Amino acid sequence: MSEEASTTVHSGVAAAPGRASGKAYVIRNAEDIMAVPAGCILVLRILHPHLAPLLPRVAGLVVEEGAILQHATTLARECGIPAVVGLRDARILLHNGDSLEVDGFIGQVIARHLA
Amino acid sequence: MSTPGAKIAQAAAPAAQPYRRHIVGLPLQRSIFGLTASAATTIALPGLSSALDFPARLDENGDLFLDRSKVAALTKILLAWFTPENLHVMQTTHAAACASLVHASENAARVATSLDGASAKKLSEDLAGKLTLVMVYGILSKFVPDVLLRALADVGDTEPPAFPEKSAGSGLLQDTLTLYQACCALGYPPQRLRHEWPRVSPEVFHLLGEFCQRQRGFGPLAWDSPGYEDPNYVVRLLHSAFHEVDVERVRQRFSFAGKPAVTHSADAPKEVAALRRVLGFWLDFLERETWYVRRAFYIGMIPLLRQMEEEFRQKVPNFQLMDLLFLDIRELAAGIAEPAVIHERRQRYLDNTEYLSLHGVDARRVATMLGKS
Repeated sequence: MSEEASTTVHSGVAAAPGRASGKAYVIRNAEDIMAVPAGCILVLRILHPHLAPLLPRVAGLVVEEGAILQHATTLARECGIPAVVGLRDARILLHNGDSLEVDGFIGQVIARHLA
Repeated sequence: MSTPGAKIAQAAAPAAQPYRRHIVGLPLQRSIFGLTASAATTIALPGLSSALDFPARLDENGDLFLDRSKVAALTKILLAWFTPENLHVMQTTHAAACASLVHASENAARVATSLDGASAKKLSEDLAGKLTLVMVYGILSKFVPDVLLRALADVGDTEPPAFPEKSAGSGLLQDTLTLYQACCALGYPPQRLRHEWPRVSPEVFHLLGEFCQRQRGFGPLAWDSPGYEDPNYVVRLLHSAFHEVDVERVRQRFSFAGKPAVTHSADAPKEVAALRRVLGFWLDFLERETWYVRRAFYIGMIPLLRQMEEEFRQKVPNFQLMDLLFLDIRELAAGIAEPAVIHERRQRYLDNTEYLSLHGVDARRVATMLGKS
């Protein structure tokens, strides 16, 4: 049984309004997009338009690159998915299975890491 | 705001690191993208072109470097340069570059099979030039929209940014959902489709083929990374996107379709209206920039490469079609191919496992990506 080890709070840019929670799923390479769990919080370097079909399956987005005027913002807003962008090193700071709370109103991600 | 026991974490990137690592790996694509700095000087922006000290460069590893000091300098210049008249020219020039690439891509697709090797080389060089120009705007798009937003703030405009009414990504999402529903209706939910592909009914096979034809151009920036031109990729993506997903919930998510765009107030001053109009254009371009570049390759460049194959084969022993991907665009246009150089480049490419893994490129990909569609 896993034990909660720590909680961290990360600040990025509020890109699409709303709040969501779920398990982190980190995209590290092209193959990872082929196994996105339903209801996850997708953590990735950049959200390009070709990944749009995956969005209905995710609860929230955390994107390393980007600002208020980037790809991820437009797509997340259109799909109504809470998103925080510009969170540098998100793929290092967050791990698969971490419990995340994404606040797209204020650009904050709370991560509960499991030991 | 604080959370008990929490710590604030925000890492900064070291200045010496590339802006993006491994963005492109194939020598042909890298050489075309490498011409952006010189192509930038050809953009006809009144009073600005000579001051356009292009802030980006691509190194031999395909890493993109962005010079922040040049971006800062260009930002300052742009803020003073943004007049309604100049903004109009900027948008017109930008739109023309995109339209020209689309036209050149379609033209190449249409005429390629009737061309001899020499004509194909000439047309590929022309297509590459147009592609490079759109890449210039792709680099500029990393900061020009922010400069426009800052200019709007400077004149007191506080309305939300002019996000597109319906982005390219949402159009793709809608078409993919339609494909998913059609496949389901024909008895092929995502799991069965993935399991049985390509041994599926002719109707489903045809649907997938048509979809790939229609959406060719969507995919990663690197040409060698699989994308929507490849039915195998689409079948796997359909599974990832829609397997065990509540369709009704997906439909609800589509409630954004037809949502009005954020535009400027009708009574906005001329300067504000011009800034918002051009910002909206850039935001729309952001959604399409990769599509332009990828589509140009898949519908335009590949048929031209096929026409050149025979000429190179006569010059170079054991020459293969995929060897053209390991030439520089200038070598391609001049018909120069050194077997030892091609071999060395191909080996270096195949040895770069970090790049190949990042982009989902397997051993067969480079050969199959040029195959008959």
